[in-house]
Parts: sequence; structure tokens; C-alpha cells
Amino acid sequence: MLRHLFTLIWNRKQANALLISEIFFSFVVLFGVGAVLITAARNFLAPHGFDYDQVWRLEVRAGQNRKMPRAELDDVLRQVQAVPGVRMVALTSGNVPFIFNTNNSVFEYQGKKSPVTNYYHADDQYNQVMRLHLREGRWFAPIDDGSHHRPVVISQDLRESLFGNGPALGKIFTWENPGKDPINYQDQFLVTGVVDPVRMESDFSAPIPSMWQRLLPYDTTHWETANVLVRVAPGSAGELQEKIARTVAGVTRQWTSQVRVINDERLHRRRYTLVPVVGLCIIGLFLIVNGALGLFGVLWYNISQRRAEIGLRRAMGATGAGIGWQFLGEMMVVTTFGVLLGGMLAAQFPLLHAFNLPAQPYLMAIGAAAAAVYAITAICAWQPSRLAAAIQPAVALREE
Amino acid sequence: MSLASVSQVRPLPDAATAPAILKLTDIEKIYQTKTIETVALNRVNLTIGKGEFVSIMGPSGCGKSTLLSIIGLLDEPTSGTVEIDGRPVAAYSDRELAALRNQKIGFVFQSYHLINDLSVLDNVELPLLYRSGVGGKERQQRALAALDKVGLSARTNHFPSQLSGGQRQRVAIARALAGGPELILADEPTGNLDSVMGEEIMDLLLTLNREDGVTIVMVTHDEHQAQKTERVIRFFDGSQVS
Repeated sequence: MLRHLFTLIWNRKQANALLISEIFFSFVVLFGVGAVLITAARNFLAPHGFDYDQVWRLEVRAGQNRKMPRAELDDVLRQVQAVPGVRMVALTSGNVPFIFNTNNSVFEYQGKKSPVTNYYHADDQYNQVMRLHLREGRWFAPIDDGSHHRPVVISQDLRESLFGNGPALGKIFTWENPGKDPINYQDQFLVTGVVDPVRMESDFSAPIPSMWQRLLPYDTTHWETANVLVRVAPGSAGELQEKIARTVAGVTRQWTSQVRVINDERLHRRRYTLVPVVGLCIIGLFLIVNGALGLFGVLWYNISQRRAEIGLRRAMGATGAGIGWQFLGEMMVVTTFGVLLGGMLAAQFPLLHAFNLPAQPYLMAIGAAAAAVYAITAICAWQPSRLAAAIQPAVALREE
Repeated sequence: MSLASVSQVRPLPDAATAPAILKLTDIEKIYQTKTIETVALNRVNLTIGKGEFVSIMGPSGCGKSTLLSIIGLLDEPTSGTVEIDGRPVAAYSDRELAALRNQKIGFVFQSYHLINDLSVLDNVELPLLYRSGVGGKERQQRALAALDKVGLSARTNHFPSQLSGGQRQRVAIARALAGGPELILADEPTGNLDSVMGEEIMDLLLTLNREDGVTIVMVTHDEHQAQKTERVIRFFDGSQVS
């Protein structure tokens, strides 16, 4: 019977072309939406690689056209550290987790280039606040003061891209285009530690190769804005935020400060990330519902056009239920053609490593899209097939 | 076997003594809507012996096709009993009726009812698709044998649209034969054909009846062709008049 159905569908390929193309496009839409959702879900379930709970961001501004001397800034850090409820403070660059601020570049080691990498500035206390998961080596320490190169900690994914399976600790790499010859020692990065991959962009983002450069304690650079990460005691609330702001103001009244909870920033960023995903899902759902209605209509019409054939098959010995299953089977065969075409297109994504994603989410999306398309077509075909099964053969045979 | 080579003619069965393949008792068929009640068949009693060739005649709308649908188990009578080989079929399930149609009955229709998207061979294989235990190879062999019998073995890969009306009707007869039925029900099999082709089809049916002993019940408007059969049953307004 299956061969018979394939023969029938193949011989009706022109009539079925529209149906097959509709299923093909439904598959492609479902594959696209599925790939986005599966990737987002996998990222969501993956660890962030650091601990953002009880971490606040203290932003200190020197004021318009003003600079803040490092000595005064260090004084602010000491004063904030001394506030009861504050566990640890760390100075960092403006690209703190979960905000729309990114510093990135490409690095190079012996001709091997890294992917685009986020880089952060971090002091010796940074890891006590952020609790990155060290895999190898150590975080920055006063011992690095005498280093002839810029001490850095890198993430495991950056390590793999630059050093493969070889050792990373003690290795020195540079920017992709350092631009000076000889290269300034500050542009030569000495690996002191390797941490787990981190996801600092949003809950749904994939890990991005990252590098933390040591902020030198004796750096005399004058900043306009300083970002301080503050780890606080569990249960700390607005009262502590006010205390920290007052402490900053107590050091210098010319500076302004703002305290934000990193977890709030994370939730805020999540909403921004969710909006396009939800929009994509709604559009996908709309297209699928339209496709399903189209399928339903085409099948209904198909059956009304084939009433005489149904009568004939009943006369030849088909049962009513057999007719219903035949129409359902035909629809599954047509679906198989559409899914195969869509599958061939979708298979290019994992083969070409499109969007730098691993193959697994794409393969899962192909499976999920195929299952969804079969389910949708089976649901759409069910009622028309029941209708076909209920047709009285004697009546149908008289209708040609 | 070609049509021209009819050599062995079986003696005609005696309707009174031949064992009955089909018996209808007090068959009534009433179509009822909210406002109108139409009596299509009124207390029809009919016995058809094995190997008989019976034609049913009557004006349009007298219930001939309804009777054929009831005999072919495609429709149920409003009242009365239908017996096939001495067994009443009223209690049969949909599955049992389908099996009975598949194994015992072959259908030939005025408008052929071929599936245009299937080749001649695939069309003829159709009844065997619904028979369990018949593999693809056997199905093909039996279909080819049936096509050979109607003289169309050179047209197996053609599609119905590539055939003449007479050839299409032969394909329909081959399809009816492929399942090896004991009873062929032919609803105006020559109605869409010119007289020459009509004669050819009629000869083919006569050959099947006389050589292979297939029982044939044929609805026709053509008196000339009806006279070639062993018995003519006439209907008028849903009642059997002779």
C-alpha cells in the first residue's frame, strides 16, 4: 500500500506541488524558529560562569570635563569596602555584565587568530566579587607588579582558540594588529589563569571568548567614570545602597554616584532579548496557523474532488476506516516530500557551521521541525480523512 | 485469451436449479428527507443462480442502479434481506462487507471509474491491494493475466487518458477480473460507447460468463444487448415487473 501511495503522489506531483511547497516553507519557518528557541534555551540552561547574586554596580562620575585621580578613587574604594554589609569591592571597566556596553577585539598567538573576544579590565579583587570559576593558574595578585607583560586571565574558549590543547599558562599573545614595533609591553598579554567560559551579555546569549587585563594598582590614569563591582551580604537592600552613595559623597562632594543591582540589570536585559524572540515566535505561529488552514482547505477540496475515487475504492474492498487511513497516509507521504526538501536546506546550516553555532542545536531543530510538521499535517488531515471515511460508496460512485 | 477465440461454451445454467449465488427477499429502499419520502425499490424478490448472466432493464429512475448497489453491498436496503451464497449479510461489519466485496464481487461502471493518475496496470491491481496475503509480484502477475484476457497486455504502462472509451472499459473489466470474483456487477457497461465498441464489450462479458462461469448482473438500457443474456428482469417505478 505504501508503494501505491508513493506512486499516486508521484503521479500527482504537479497537483501536489503547491501542497509540498507549503509544507516545505512551514518546515523552514519551524526550523528557523526552532533553531533560535533551542539555542536560546540551551544558553539559558548553561551556567553563566560567574556569580551575579549579591553583586551591585557602583558607578562613580567625576562630573562634566572632570577627571578623578586614582588616589582619590582608591580612597573611595577603601571607604566603600569599610561600609558594614559590603563584602568586597573591585574596580573594573565600563562593560560590566548585562549592560549594553561591550569592548571587544581580536587577538593573535603565533599567527593563530582568536574569534572576536570581549575584554575587561579587572583589579586584583575582581574575582572575589565575581567568583569566576578558575580552571588553571591564578587570579591577579601583587606578585604581578613586577611583570614585564600585561597579566591577563582568559576564558577556556579563548584558550582553545589560541592555544588548542597545548598549555596556556605563561604564554604571551598580542592584539591582532599591535601596530608598534617593538610592541609595547602593555600590549603583550601574559596568561596567568584560565577560567570557565562566561556569559555576561544576557541570560540567552552564548558564551563569548573573554579576557581580563589586570588594572595596575599604580596606574595614574585619570578617569571620568569608574565602575566598581560590590559584593554585599545576602539580604542587603536599598538602605545599603544609600549608605554607599553617601560614602562616595563623603569622600568628594564633586563626584556623583549611582548604585544598581546586577541581578536587576540581568532581568532588564532579558526583557530586551526576549522581545525579538517572542516576536519571531508570534510571526512563526501566525505563519504556521495560516499554513495549517491552507492545508486543511486543500485537503477538504481534495476529498471533495475525489469522491468518485473513494466510492470506487470502497467497491474494490476498502473499508471506511481504510479510506481514512489512506488519505492520512497520502498526506504523510506528501509531508515527507516537503520535509525532505526542507531537511536538505536545513542540513546546510550545521554543515556550514552557520552563525558559528554548533551542529547540535540545528540537528535538534531539524528533528523538532519535522515532528511539528508531521503533527500539524496529521491534525489538519484528520477531519478531512474522517469525512472521506464516512462517504457512502453508492452515493460517491454516482457523482462523477 | 482473445475475444475471437471463444471455443468452449459452457452449457447455460438453469436458473431454477443452479445454486443461488445471490438471493434478495422483500427488498425495500426508501430515501427519506425531511419533506419527501421516495420509494426506490418496492418489495423486490430476486434469486440469481451461479453462472447466470442476467440483465436488468427499465426506464431511468426505476431503481436499477440502487438495486445494483444493494447487490454489490455498497448500500443497505431499508428492509428485506440480502443473501450471498446462502448467508444473510445484514449482520456483517463494515470490514466483513469490504472483504466480501473484494473477494466475491467485481464492478464495471458506465463511466469506467478508472483512476487517471495510475497506469493501466496499477488500476487493475487495485482490488488486490485490499486483499491480505497477496504480495506485489503476485498482484502484478494477476493484473497482467487479467489484462491479457481483455486483450490489453500491450497497454499496461499507459494512463487512462491515453486510451479510447472501449479500451478504458476493458481495463475496468480487467480490474473486475483481477480479483477472481464469482459475481460481476456491470452498471450500463456499454452506455458510454458506440455500437461497435459496445458489441466488443458485450462479447467480452459473454465470453467471461460462458468460458469462466462468472455470474454477471448487468444493468442496461439496450434491449438488443439484454436479449443476449439468459434472463431479463424489468423494473418500473421501483418494482419488478417481469
